[in-house]
Amino acid sequence: MIRHLPMIGLLLSALISGCTTGSETSETPAPEVGGAAGRPVATKRLRVGMMPKLVGIDYFNECRKGAEEAASELGIELIYDGPSTDKVELQVQMIDEWIALGYDAIAVSPNDPEVISPALQRAREAGIAVITWDADANPASGRQIFVNQCPVAEVGSRLVDLMAEAIGGKGKAVIVTGSATSPNQNAWMKAMRAHLQEKYPEIELLETLVPDENQNRARQMTLDLLTAEPELSGVWGITSVALPGVGEAVKQAGKTGKVFVTGLSLPSTVKSYVKDGTIPKVVLWSPRDLGYLTIHATKALAERQLDSGTRDFGRLKEIRIKGDEVILGQPLVFDAENIDQYSF
Amino acid sequence: MNASIRQRIARESISWLLLVFALGLVFSRLPRAAGILPLWRPWAELGVLSLGMTAVILTGGIDLSIGSIVTLSGAVLGYLWQVTGLPLGVAASAAVLTGTLAGALNGFAISWGMSPLVTTLASMALYSGVSMALLEQNRITGFPATFLALGNGSLAGVPSQLVLLIVAATVLAVLVHATRFGRYLFSLGDQRKSAQFAGVPVKRVERSLYALNGFLAGLVALWYTARRGAAVADAGQGLELQVIACVVLGGTRVTGGSGSIARTLLGLGILAHLEIGLRLWGNQTITLPGFGGGVTLTANARLILIGLLVILVALLNERLAPRQRDST
Repeated sequence: MIRHLPMIGLLLSALISGCTTGSETSETPAPEVGGAAGRPVATKRLRVGMMPKLVGIDYFNECRKGAEEAASELGIELIYDGPSTDKVELQVQMIDEWIALGYDAIAVSPNDPEVISPALQRAREAGIAVITWDADANPASGRQIFVNQCPVAEVGSRLVDLMAEAIGGKGKAVIVTGSATSPNQNAWMKAMRAHLQEKYPEIELLETLVPDENQNRARQMTLDLLTAEPELSGVWGITSVALPGVGEAVKQAGKTGKVFVTGLSLPSTVKSYVKDGTIPKVVLWSPRDLGYLTIHATKALAERQLDSGTRDFGRLKEIRIKGDEVILGQPLVFDAENIDQYSF
Repeated sequence: MNASIRQRIARESISWLLLVFALGLVFSRLPRAAGILPLWRPWAELGVLSLGMTAVILTGGIDLSIGSIVTLSGAVLGYLWQVTGLPLGVAASAAVLTGTLAGALNGFAISWGMSPLVTTLASMALYSGVSMALLEQNRITGFPATFLALGNGSLAGVPSQLVLLIVAATVLAVLVHATRFGRYLFSLGDQRKSAQFAGVPVKRVERSLYALNGFLAGLVALWYTARRGAAVADAGQGLELQVIACVVLGGTRVTGGSGSIARTLLGLGILAHLEIGLRLWGNQTITLPGFGGGVTLTANARLILIGLLVILVALLNERLAPRQRDST
């Protein structure tokens, strides 16, 4: 082993000098925005760190594309980075690191609304603009705005209305969610229950299935329920992991067209089920527009141009600003007719 | 110069080189060197846990339940304070006591001859189950500012967690390297049976050792909860793996009998600065001389790089460590 030592030393020093090269090149403006580093040379470019709940999943990859599009329009230096698992502790550490780097603005989609808050407070104290997007933090953290994809009540009522219309306003239905703690899903379910109680009292809601963001478990749990409850009229799958699992279960059970399935998911993950009629309708906002709007709103916030009312953000027209929320808008409904028009 | 000294130099220099490399990553990117101080907080908490784990691993044992004990102590703290309305000081003492008892329970099972791996794998589930039963999906928040200052405050500019680490490291270094108890730990790791025959009170040592480890976890839970401002039922999940990584990376042998507190601090320094440094360079492109393109440090690239470096060091530690047995 000892004879390999010089080689290993060489490799390490190469890595170290490699870093130096990296920091040198980052002094010159990078040709592509969003990817490589580009520190401001003459004019001060806004440096924005944008953090998803986790990196590497389709939904947040789409958000990133929109964010990069907006960053290149506005000449913003965008660092889109996050943890590789949905752990809030890692987000907290990364935010502290971004504070140390002195970013101008931090936009985060927190995995936990409370645990993220002290880190956001520290960012505010360091004079950094703080935005939440996709999921909110406790507003007491001092986060300045929340870029909301879609008001919770509208998502809930849209999902319920689609179901009620398809099954004739009565019957047994069930929700398949992600994990028991996911704040977004829990808020949507609350809104769905409220809307059901108010408008469709004849729809009976069975106990929610919780497959913990595992597609195979979502499929198995749905299959079991289809056997146990032959009278089941409809299933909601409200995450992009749950819905494909539900679709596969209903298809395997031969209940396509007999049990109505809808929910929230990236259309691309359920395209085949939408086309063969297993999941006739899917609800979602455009994640790309969400990323795009987040960066535009960040820029506007930095320039103190966010008053309540309605305004345009780049290619997105008439976006509502209500208090400290910037609202992307109405959810989109995808079906066999229009699903090919969307790339995500 | 004989071979064993050369091996030792080789082994030391690799660790130190890696530490220098990691520090280089961090400080070439930070605009102000003092900016590192708050970034050390979570790592100092981890460091305190890895001190206790070093003592455990020295005996050839392991404690997989350490993350769950942190969670449980935090849950007890939050529960007693908010749900039953006890004063925070009492709740905090109860939290540390809970950690100690949880560790002692591990120690009892192990001293009765259960394998540490099986025991703590089971208690990992047990303690996290109890935490979830206590808190369910609730987050206990709204702690008073004096308590939060424990997690976010500094003493003469030194983050509170680092103060805790320095004190704990001093105490543990003395305990492990300068007391009879410490000598027992090493002899247990060499050969449990022969230690027993040599008159080492094996059972008593094991019980106090795991209780000590639980005590440290209970203590860390106070800082951990204060820094995060919330007690959550899944807070400490996965901590155990990072803790064990620090110990092993430092060069303490997982089979026991060889290692030190100082080595673990070195391992902690390497892992902490590698992770911090690579993330500070997150999504920046680093050009390697002699290669055509660069490496963009995405989250996945960082994981791969850390994995490779840890394997490299662990391999060298294993190959170059002084051997007691001549089995090869």
